[in-house]
Amino acid sequence: MRFHFFKIVLLSLGLGLSVSCQRTWHGEPALQKTMLGVTATIAPDAQAEKTIAPYRAQVTKQMAEVIGVVPVALEKLAVESPVGNFVADLQRIQAEKLTGKPIDLGLMTAGGVRTPLRQGNLTVGDIFELMPFENELMVITVPAVVVKQLLNYASQPHIYPLAPKTLSTSNVAYQILNNQPQNILIGGQPFDSTRTYTIALSDYLAKGGDNLEFITNQVSSQKVGLLLRDAIIKHIKELTAEGKPVEAKIDGRVQVIVPNTPVEPKQ
Amino acid sequence: MKRREFLRNSLMGTAGLSLLGFPFAAQARPKNKKLVILHTNDTHSRIDPFPSDGRANGGMGGMARRASLIKQIRAKEKNVLLLDSGDIFQGTPYFNFFGGELEYKLMSQMGYDAATLGNHDFDNGLAGLQKQLPHASFPFLSANYDFSETILKDKFQPYKVFVKDELKIGVFGLGIDLQGLVGADMYGKTLYLDPVVKAKEMVKILRDEQECNLIICLSHLGYKYDTDKIDDRKLAAQVGGIDLILGGHTHTFLEKPDAIISPGGEETLINQVGWAGINLGRIDFEFSTEGKKKGYAAAVLPVHERTAISS
Repeated sequence: MRFHFFKIVLLSLGLGLSVSCQRTWHGEPALQKTMLGVTATIAPDAQAEKTIAPYRAQVTKQMAEVIGVVPVALEKLAVESPVGNFVADLQRIQAEKLTGKPIDLGLMTAGGVRTPLRQGNLTVGDIFELMPFENELMVITVPAVVVKQLLNYASQPHIYPLAPKTLSTSNVAYQILNNQPQNILIGGQPFDSTRTYTIALSDYLAKGGDNLEFITNQVSSQKVGLLLRDAIIKHIKELTAEGKPVEAKIDGRVQVIVPNTPVEPKQ
Repeated sequence: MKRREFLRNSLMGTAGLSLLGFPFAAQARPKNKKLVILHTNDTHSRIDPFPSDGRANGGMGGMARRASLIKQIRAKEKNVLLLDSGDIFQGTPYFNFFGGELEYKLMSQMGYDAATLGNHDFDNGLAGLQKQLPHASFPFLSANYDFSETILKDKFQPYKVFVKDELKIGVFGLGIDLQGLVGADMYGKTLYLDPVVKAKEMVKILRDEQECNLIICLSHLGYKYDTDKIDDRKLAAQVGGIDLILGGHTHTFLEKPDAIISPGGEETLINQVGWAGINLGRIDFEFSTEGKKKGYAAAVLPVHERTAISS
């Protein structure tokens, strides 16, 4: 009996100690699907649908309004982007209307324009996708050096060949030769390094967003009192009222010159 | 006689155990435990599925479907943790109209356990974020943003410890440098602190003080940059003791989680499941009491099932 008692105590002691030492749980990743597709084969959850319904009704009603027609898709392209040209131009035009003053330049980055505009009817919802951000349209006045820095930046090889990084400018024409801007015309006039220029742009870019830190060197700045998205919607509604479609082209405002390649006249 | 002897021995044994204070010894060898981690990142206000109009990801996603999928998994699994790695806000008119209210309400209904903050969660400023917080029943975890000089002082915790089936899971959050990414007037006096330093602090607290069995980092740093900028892979290589980094920001679709050898020789898994709620991430962990976590070579990595993502 005594023997048994000791045996059990020892056994228990051993067991107790061993469990004590192993008490920590160790996790191992298990074989499992790690990306589950949220696909159309999954029925929507009824409770979630009920929560969404009143919000969706409001959004759908406002988003479905057709405000214009796009005969040819406005793509996001490198060097010159039709949709970038369109937004850069309308920023300048709408800022001129709102401030009653001529504006020298319009500026937009490819990252600021989120989607191309597809061919067909254009709805408010499409413009929300194009410009989801709550950015404000504004006008800044900058010394000429900032315009030069801007075009130098736009002429860097890691910027202009890549659509996602292209800078779109309005009322500016220039050529890129050896990664430098050449023959710069602003409003048809040669670039003047002694004056200031006004630029219509988003408050995001005006604060140096998208790596444009140099643009914060400003003489003055002015908000025009309109969200950029609302300016786009306003512009498209005005075009429609005038019976005009939404169009933008690559119009040669930026040309990349390949050095030492004589331009052959077209046959 | 034999029966009596057995009883007596058993009683003595139990008494002995109680005196020695080993409560666990009374149990049989414990069965393994299982934890299911579900996660999303960069859901970007995508309440409804992408329209099926020929665009990329058409017909994919949708929060009501995500809710169904999560309910299905919860019906089968006892221990589920549901986590998000930030950028819940911005991307559809739902955000422009309602400021994130519906996103938080739906995530609360789905039973999210925690999220961290992405840069776009600051898009309506600190006041915009503050306004929506009452709609979220889950905490936002952030270890490297200091909000003490802002209106969001004391609104966020650096980490939270979840207890599932007696397992302790420590979760902490890390955010990206906001300067240059978010308008300065949007984040105000929010300070960005070094994620590596803060992650080391978190691991120390969660491992040593909280004695967690698993440590998860919710990161909005981004998966991988070719520059010196800190990312999830660099974090894993520089900070030991994190079991799993659930990432975001770069909208990366990882075919399977990355395994990085961290200081100390153990592996840290990194996962990210794209964006817009197109996918729900799932990583299961099996817990046993036998031995230490195995090294990289011996680890069984989760596999990816190719999903029908149109592009």
